[in-house]
Amino acid sequence: MTAISTAPPLRRRLPFELIGGWEIGLLAFMVLLYAAGVVINPKFFGQPDAFSAILRDTARFGVMAAGMTFVIVNKDLDLSVGSTFGLVATIFSIAFSKSYYDLGIVASLSAAVLTGLAVGLVNGVFVTVLRVPAFITTLTMLFIGRGLVLGLTGGKTISYSEKAASDGAWFFQIGETNALGFNNQILIFILVTIVGMFALAKTRWGYETYATGGNELAATYAGIPTRRVRMRGYVLSALSATLAGLMSVAQDKGITSQYGQGAELIVIAAVIVGGASILGGRGRLLGGALGAILVTLIDKVLREGIPMTRIVKVGDAEMKVQGMAQLPPGAVPAFLGLILLLSVLIEPWIIRRNVFPRLWARVRGRPLPPVIEVGGVAIEGAQTKGSSASDRSMRARGPIGHFLARRDAAAIILAVALWCVGLYLRPDFWGSIDNSFNLMLSFTEVGLLAIGMTYVIANGDIDLSVGSVLALSAATCAFLMKQLGFDPATAVFIALVAGAAAGVVNALLTVGFGLPAFVATLGMFYMARGIGAWLTAGRQLSSFPEGFNLLGRKLIDALTYFGVAPARGSLAYDLAAALSVQTIFMIVVAIIAGLILGKTPFGQMIYATGGNRRAAEYAGIDTGRVRAISLVFSALCAACAGVIYVAFLRSFNPSAGQLRELDAIAAVIIGGGSIFGGYGTVIGALAGAAVIALIRALLSLQLILGNGQSFVMPQHWVNVFIGLILMVAVVGDVWIRQGDLGASIRRRLGGRRSAAPRTAS
Amino acid sequence: MTTRSAMSSGSATPLLIEMRNISKAFGPVQALRDVNLRLAPGEILGLVGDNSAGKSTLMKVMTGAYQRDSGDVLVDGRPTHFKSPHESRVDGIEMIYQDFALCGNMDIAQNIFLGRWPRRGLFVDRKRMYAEAEEVLKRLKVDVNSVFQKVESLSGGRQQSVAIARAISFNPRVVVLDEPTANLSVMATERLLETMAELKRHGVAQIIISHRLTDIFDVGDRIMVMKRGQAVGDRYIRHTDEAEVLELIVSGTPETAMTADQALAARAA
Repeated sequence: MTAISTAPPLRRRLPFELIGGWEIGLLAFMVLLYAAGVVINPKFFGQPDAFSAILRDTARFGVMAAGMTFVIVNKDLDLSVGSTFGLVATIFSIAFSKSYYDLGIVASLSAAVLTGLAVGLVNGVFVTVLRVPAFITTLTMLFIGRGLVLGLTGGKTISYSEKAASDGAWFFQIGETNALGFNNQILIFILVTIVGMFALAKTRWGYETYATGGNELAATYAGIPTRRVRMRGYVLSALSATLAGLMSVAQDKGITSQYGQGAELIVIAAVIVGGASILGGRGRLLGGALGAILVTLIDKVLREGIPMTRIVKVGDAEMKVQGMAQLPPGAVPAFLGLILLLSVLIEPWIIRRNVFPRLWARVRGRPLPPVIEVGGVAIEGAQTKGSSASDRSMRARGPIGHFLARRDAAAIILAVALWCVGLYLRPDFWGSIDNSFNLMLSFTEVGLLAIGMTYVIANGDIDLSVGSVLALSAATCAFLMKQLGFDPATAVFIALVAGAAAGVVNALLTVGFGLPAFVATLGMFYMARGIGAWLTAGRQLSSFPEGFNLLGRKLIDALTYFGVAPARGSLAYDLAAALSVQTIFMIVVAIIAGLILGKTPFGQMIYATGGNRRAAEYAGIDTGRVRAISLVFSALCAACAGVIYVAFLRSFNPSAGQLRELDAIAAVIIGGGSIFGGYGTVIGALAGAAVIALIRALLSLQLILGNGQSFVMPQHWVNVFIGLILMVAVVGDVWIRQGDLGASIRRRLGGRRSAAPRTAS
Repeated sequence: MTTRSAMSSGSATPLLIEMRNISKAFGPVQALRDVNLRLAPGEILGLVGDNSAGKSTLMKVMTGAYQRDSGDVLVDGRPTHFKSPHESRVDGIEMIYQDFALCGNMDIAQNIFLGRWPRRGLFVDRKRMYAEAEEVLKRLKVDVNSVFQKVESLSGGRQQSVAIARAISFNPRVVVLDEPTANLSVMATERLLETMAELKRHGVAQIIISHRLTDIFDVGDRIMVMKRGQAVGDRYIRHTDEAEVLELIVSGTPETAMTADQALAARAA
């Protein structure tokens, strides 16, 4: 280091492409982490085969990470790998198991692979051909897959270790330890990684992937079939999930209905930790594989716990008690969600800003490499929208025409129609006060979430965490009253603060750090539910003060409690008996939120931000503030729903609000919102919520069949159906409302007649 | 055009905008280097140059969309430090962006009043908003079916009319047009040039960034040439021709820059 070279040496070598500084850093970090594991928990990590065991468990995630790398480099996202993994394992098990179809090994494997392929193709078609945003497609696929697994297995465990011994022993060898002393799955992991590494770094397939992720428009202009490239990413991702699912059944020779749950979290975190950018165009496959090892390692450390000695005083004697300081259930997903969020921040804030090279240069006293200024452009890039939709409200004639031109017309008509269907199916029951009351109740929960979601979707973001925030605030409320003996008012207040805090974190990540909203809220999706389960330690809490429960009771109960009930038989009494406190609360929130969104400048700011954020900024609108307020408001609505949930059920169940984010998003989209932002009204969202509530009620309706038997659809299948509805709603929005498919079909059919001079100048 | 000769006398009229020695770097890329720009009231200045010559950057520095590294921006002789386009708007500087920066999901009136919707009490005063929008459009002689029309259903030329209507509804003193004719049909371009002349009659100074010299020669008073982040020429439209400007664009140097008056004097000599 004596001579300071003035000119950089000429580099004749081609860039290696397979591995970079980030991967080397990761390797070093992992060695340190493992060493720390050995020191802290020698019982587990000190054993010689622990290393092999970790690699074996990593293998499945590593294989999935290989496929996911293609997807993420493409600037897409696949949230469905975990449920694909579970679905494939389930299909194989059902086909293979003696107690179901009892097929041969080859037929079972084919069924499994075909399933995986189908999932990949469906994802690809929805994202590329039908132009549905990737996260919404694959999130729906996640829930549909999970619903299918539960529906197919009925929540039961399937095992076939006996049959596996005789039939298809070659296949089940995959899960066994080989002659070299390590599990065959590790071999597959290494093989897939090497093949994928070369495919991504050295072949045209890989170069096409980087081009598509870097700038899809430019890639299209250059003649790269970007649709096919992205489709390929999804198929590869689904196939790698299929392989991982098969590896897992080969090892376990059976499944539980929990298979693959939360795997997408580990896989995405792995790929991102491995240096890929959630914004596309960057990432290497080896990084994903190393990331998978690292994340599995962290997961293991979290789950295995830390052994420690506690001193317990029994009378006068002090006793040493050996125990494991283990994280309670729920804490692991909370931490993994945190890791996901932190790792997503790595690429834009550390790698792209040259933090480490700058630090290194400072240490050595060299001139600092420059920070690349992005010139005021947010890291998520500018949003520009096509302007293909023609303005139908201008063509509308008469009051009916004007109503039909409203974006929320379809939802209102659909809600009425669905109600009539219910009346037709069960005339004896549907119109009754009881049923109407229950309908209103389920409507209230979805409605409350949908009101907040409307704000978020209207300004072009998304909030995937509402269901989890609901659970978080419900858990907080129940925990404070039950375990800490808080009075209801304080507990409710703190629960709402907890929910709002989750919203503030969402806002900080999206607005402050510039993450796409779906990533930030996806992290919160895992974290909030995890923290909720952590608080209550996975238990069900119940029996709260009656004063609190009134929040979820009928109005008449509340009035009676305060001693101001109207006389029985009067109109006021009947009204108070049919309405519940929560519905009134929801309606009040809806009116205020509707007025603000529709009539005030703040509402206009939301639409402007969602329509064209840059234009809104140039016009002096503080779009960051608008988006932050919307995200916090959405979380606050979810928190209110959580408190009401506890009050209504008189208990807290850790699965509170599961799938509710899907219901809320579907409600807003059905009600005229656009997944790309700029549209959505509170009335529409409420109509959409009514549609969702009615569909759920209809599907769980007990039908009296002709032969006197009755039939109820299991809840899992209802969830699958709701997922399908969301997909249909989004596709309908993208193609019919935005693309004005109806008009272009009319134009095509009408030919000359409608070749109107609307496009003059 | 008697006004033009009045303007030629240069220092006699007080400058509306003066930018002195502006420099701006994006990381290792020096986007602007010691650039000077002068603009008199009611003057139409054409800003030309190759891609990445720094034209748009210079304008964004002027409006406050970018922060300069060094140099001064004077409006009416007062030094300014705009932190956002919103602040420069208060001083009467309006920019019309190449993609018009409109919200397609909102209607014409809502776009004209973007970010400053009139209010009555807590609520937006819709009646006043639509009435005033109609008036502005009439003043601009733009015929659109209705101010209730969504902007995304308008053609490019009409969208630009909305963007211009938005700009002049602030009663600006300077309007900056970034590549205004790039996406327009011949008809729409002609109408735009008429609009610019109309604005000039109202005393609004304009800076037009364009690749199309013919447009600038049609309406402009003065033309400024930039190359690789530096000013390489400043000429009066009356005393130059397209050949000279093209020559400057291709092979201009800081030495050829001069001021328009110096160039005129040199030409006379």
